Amino acid sequence: MFEIKVNEAGDILLSGRFDASQVGYANQFFDKVIKSTIVDFKELDYISSAGLSVLLVTQKRLSEKNQQLKLMNMNRHIQDVFRYAGFDKIFTIE
Amino acid sequence: MRKQFKRDINSLKDIFIFLDEFVVHHKLDESVSFVLQLAVEEIFTNMVKYDVQNAHAIDISLSKDADQVVIELLNPDVESFDIHKAKEYDPSRPLQDREPGGVGIHLVKKFINKIEYDYKDGISKITLIKYLEKPHV
Repeated sequence: MFEIKVNEAGDILLSGRFDASQVGYANQFFDKVIKSTIVDFKELDYISSAGLSVLLVTQKRLSEKNQQLKLMNMNRHIQDVFRYAGFDKIFTIE
Repeated sequence: MRKQFKRDINSLKDIFIFLDEFVVHHKLDESVSFVLQLAVEEIFTNMVKYDVQNAHAIDISLSKDADQVVIELLNPDVESFDIHKAKEYDPSRPLQDREPGGVGIHLVKKFINKIEYDYKDGISKITLIKYLEKPHV
């Protein structure tokens, strides 16, 4: 199960499994992000290239206004996915 | 273990259950589990995406011996497309030059130790082999 929530500080909290079947749901949410925002991966177990694409499109759109997504608390498997895809170069990851 | 899955992105839920059963049965660790999920999702979704009109199910089989896990995906009634000939993905491109897509096969090549492709009688077969680390004694 994949869920997107927003905490009181406005950070986006991802949880569960971000796979290709969740792209529609995720796009609906990320299309509404219009400023720099922290995305917390602490409860996210899994991401595939479909999830990466959603984040890429959002990051490109935000970068045109000098805004960005900042990603944090990835597990080591998801870190590997980002590193192999070269996404560690286009996102700030804490 | 072997099972057929409807050619639909929403089959992923059942595919992950199938993979979980295999992982639990063979007591595989979470690293191997993650790799199997990612590799199967990327190949399966590619098969779905590039043959939307195809009514045939996609067959996935899983096996394990002492040293490796072997995954086979059979895609019937399709044109040949050798995964080894997929366009190379460049992970060094700057943000502005990137477009969605193309990274899935690249990730499979990074996480999986050996990939084989066969095509016969309209059936495309992709075999993914993941070597298992020997437990430390």
